[in-house]
Amino acid sequence: MSLPNEHSRRVFMQRAVLASVLAAGGAGTLSACASGGSSGGASTGEGEVSADNPFGVAPDAPLDVVIFKGGYGDDYAKFHEELYKKQFADAEITHAGITDIRQQLQPRFNGGNPPDVIDNSGAEKLPISTLADTGQLSDLTALFDAESIDGGSVRDGVLPVAIEAGLYDDKPLVLNYALECYGMWYDQALFDSKGWALPETWADFMALCEEIKGAGIAPMAHQGKYPYYIQQFLMDLAVKHGGQEVAFAIDSLEPDAWKSESMVAAAEALAEVKGKGYMLDGTEGLDHIQSQTAWNEGKAAFIPCGSWLENEQKSVAPAEFVTTVAPTPLLDGAKLPYGSTRISAAEAFIVPSKAKNVAGGMEFLRIMLSKEGAAKFTELTAAPTVVKDAVGGLDLTPAAASVQALVESGGDDNWNYYYDVWYTPMDPKIQSAVAELAAGRLDATGFCDAAQKAADEAAADPTTNKRTRG
Amino acid sequence: MQHGRYRFVVGFLVVPLALYGVFVISPFVQAFYYSLTNWTGVSPEFEFVGLENFRRLADDSVFLRAIRNNVLLLVVVPVVTIALALLYAFLLNVGGRVGAAGVRGVRGSDFYKLVFFMPQVLSVPVIAVIWSVIMSPTSDGLLNSVLGVLGLEPSRFLANPDIALWCVVWVMVWGSVGFYLVLFNAAMTSIPRDVFEAALIDGAGRVATFTRITIPLLWDTIQTSWVYLAILALDAYALVAVMTAGPGGPDNSTQVIALQIASNGFQFGQAGYASAMGVVLFFATLVIAAIMLRITRREQIEY
Amino acid sequence: MAVTTGPPTGTTVDDGPDRPVRAARGSAGGGANLASHLVLALWTATVVLPFGWALIASTKTTREIFGDPWGLPETARWGNYANAWDKGVGEYLLNSVVVVTGGVLLTMLLGSMVAYVLARYEFPGNRLVYYLFAAGMMFPVFLAIVPLFYVVQNLGMLSTYRGLILVYTAYSLPFTVFFMHAFFRTLPRSIAEAAVLDGCSHTSTFFRVMLPMAKPGLLSIGVFNVLGQFNQFVLPSFLSAQKPVLAQGIATLLASQRYENDWGAMFAALAIAMLPVVIVYVVFYRQIQSGLTSGTLK
Repeated sequence: MSLPNEHSRRVFMQRAVLASVLAAGGAGTLSACASGGSSGGASTGEGEVSADNPFGVAPDAPLDVVIFKGGYGDDYAKFHEELYKKQFADAEITHAGITDIRQQLQPRFNGGNPPDVIDNSGAEKLPISTLADTGQLSDLTALFDAESIDGGSVRDGVLPVAIEAGLYDDKPLVLNYALECYGMWYDQALFDSKGWALPETWADFMALCEEIKGAGIAPMAHQGKYPYYIQQFLMDLAVKHGGQEVAFAIDSLEPDAWKSESMVAAAEALAEVKGKGYMLDGTEGLDHIQSQTAWNEGKAAFIPCGSWLENEQKSVAPAEFVTTVAPTPLLDGAKLPYGSTRISAAEAFIVPSKAKNVAGGMEFLRIMLSKEGAAKFTELTAAPTVVKDAVGGLDLTPAAASVQALVESGGDDNWNYYYDVWYTPMDPKIQSAVAELAAGRLDATGFCDAAQKAADEAAADPTTNKRTRG
Repeated sequence: MQHGRYRFVVGFLVVPLALYGVFVISPFVQAFYYSLTNWTGVSPEFEFVGLENFRRLADDSVFLRAIRNNVLLLVVVPVVTIALALLYAFLLNVGGRVGAAGVRGVRGSDFYKLVFFMPQVLSVPVIAVIWSVIMSPTSDGLLNSVLGVLGLEPSRFLANPDIALWCVVWVMVWGSVGFYLVLFNAAMTSIPRDVFEAALIDGAGRVATFTRITIPLLWDTIQTSWVYLAILALDAYALVAVMTAGPGGPDNSTQVIALQIASNGFQFGQAGYASAMGVVLFFATLVIAAIMLRITRREQIEY
Repeated sequence: MAVTTGPPTGTTVDDGPDRPVRAARGSAGGGANLASHLVLALWTATVVLPFGWALIASTKTTREIFGDPWGLPETARWGNYANAWDKGVGEYLLNSVVVVTGGVLLTMLLGSMVAYVLARYEFPGNRLVYYLFAAGMMFPVFLAIVPLFYVVQNLGMLSTYRGLILVYTAYSLPFTVFFMHAFFRTLPRSIAEAAVLDGCSHTSTFFRVMLPMAKPGLLSIGVFNVLGQFNQFVLPSFLSAQKPVLAQGIATLLASQRYENDWGAMFAALAIAMLPVVIVYVVFYRQIQSGLTSGTLK
């Protein structure tokens, strides 16, 4: 429905903008790589395959692009379309920047005439796993195997999460383009003035919370109306404690995955935060705007969020506020290092298999994954992409710098989970249980039971396509 | 009377019926068909699965929760709304002049009716946004600061699963009372004055007059109101979708059938399954409709 | 009772100072009166305060709205209104006005035609048609929405005024028929019969005699339909994504402000959506309420 009603929508909606990479001056650093030039070839049906045209795009075939016009806008796509046009001057490009992807595209999928490229994002996105299961998405293996516009293979030019996040039954069907990083956010200025140091262990965290509380500030707020956020904190505690296997088991719907020692420990830790009164009063009922505004006003010290936070709050944050991300502290016996965190890729670009110009769609993605295309995206949206080394040398805001540092410090220990997109009906049940835990209405055992029940229901559902990781 | 009669009847019915058939009946019939398939809503291909979707429904705890909540709305919203509307209609009468059956009696009664009716003219998203901000769960939220002044504990409102649905009930009632106040009040003006005069001459007090004479004479209107309000309670979608966490939360405490249809049909890519939910809702409402029509078809009171 | 034969409401009150019943006053005198006002004033506050607060919020910044909900803005930010208007509120309003005008007029015409025929003519299938429409009141719109989308698409009417007008009309017909059916049954039969005996055709009897007599009912159900269609947003959000109407536009803004975090403009948009309706309502509320009066009492 049109109302922003989807359970997890909050996040997808504003998977927005990593704040912060300052666009000013960015243009000078753009890669000077020329895009392919014209590639000749026959104009009947498929074009000729060449180094510049690895997919054999018919130069005069029209290209139909639909972009989710959310936090990132759609100007970046218009730039990518210009690049495409440079290569195929005869191609007529249709561009649509919309927010209600599903409502507008569902009938086109049903009618067998989907567009050639879709940024399937936002609250109104199409159910991606259903599209994958029904064979409606093109296999992007050829894209990642192709020669990058900047030289080398496309695969080597992107962060692994870009490919992993789009795998369905081991086939890459989705290109997630924008990079996101999660953590606990705080005001560096406030912490400096109070002399508070970032806690690396749970004991330190508890001690700091007590001190913060003593100073009349709530140690932690969260966007309780959308439990997704505090869930990031919970999952980070659990996965950093037990290692990547914790996330693999959950994504693979393994029996008792939600009752692992690490998940129980994480749930107990979250319950402790609530139980000791470290949560902002009423935060379990606040939406993201209200809670983040309270945090900006210094009513709470930490808030869990993704890297879009600074940009989202830019009209609200006081001038002296220094938005900064910190890693989640480690529970005793944690396997992953303190500096690791959840990294995900968002803005799900797909090429429908029934599109008229599949080759053109793939070529469009290849252009997006060029350094020139990626740098323009970052310049226009202040958000990083999955393309490696596209924006080196830019001035970063403190928030962006802290994100950059966290991404780098985690390296291969950064982790991700996918159950929420793989098993969509399960996700709202998990979130509901997380909300109960964070509000103190479920204890750790109760949470683990409720979450496991949701996972078991998904596993038992004959219509669910089970996937595995690890 | 017979001349051209059927031509006239057919002529008057054909256009509306065609419109109704194309845009209302045919989609509903198609939905029944889809409820027997595994259609995802995003693929032209699907299979016939018989009653499988309905079997799954019986085990769907969230859907069953939604049904329970809808039933509660169906009972509570009409009762509370009608009771409050009658109370206010009574209060408008009580201080007024007797001769007019009290309807225009109380000073400022026009003003009250004007104000009470106001929420009715506004669209649901508008109302939902305003109330969800008012019922902010922090202690410095608007309503909580009022409670604080009154010396009461702050409430979590929509964040508390025990009262979230009641918050939705409140907004529904709040939005509806004015309409029914005006309706009942209007119904009273049309009760002939001599009825009241007779009662008062017989020494009946105002309360007695109201309960023994006014309400029985309004019974028809009250029952009609029940039908409207039942329809309203079955379509709590907009309010719930905008106001509640999740939406439908916390802990599915405000889950309603319409929300489940929307989630399954579109977000989860299970349009066939969602259609089955719609079919269940259809039969449930059909039963209610039949009962209501039976009740409201009773003999009109002549006076 | 014959509702049309009485004088309009509002003119029958407060006369006859020397009526004998005056003697019976007093039992519920001043105290009760004061108590009534107290209770009524309390409810008045629950209506006026939220709207008043929303209006004030429309001139505040996002920080002021959530950081200091009871406070007045430091400086009134009228720019919020310009922002809201620029975000499409003006266009949504126009779409709503066009669609609701067309939808209500068509609904009234077709609905009263059906209701009249069903109320006054016996023919095979009368009850069937009546129940077909009456049952439609209870149809959950959600059940039909996806197939409906394709019906409208096949007719080439997605995101068009005529598409929305026809769909609104179709979905308003059940209640309109139900309501007007009851209303026509209360009108005296003798007048229509006399008209027919005088040589009026059935059609002209309907348009010249019955429809004017049904004016109070039409007004009442007309208001009901105006409100219902104006506030409709499930149907348009599926069928008119490219041409949003106001209620849907508010929802869109609500969604998009989540990206832009501009609650001041959000409340300004709410105010723009509320004010015209409230003004029209305040000006016409006597008609609206007296329409209700005569119409709903069978």
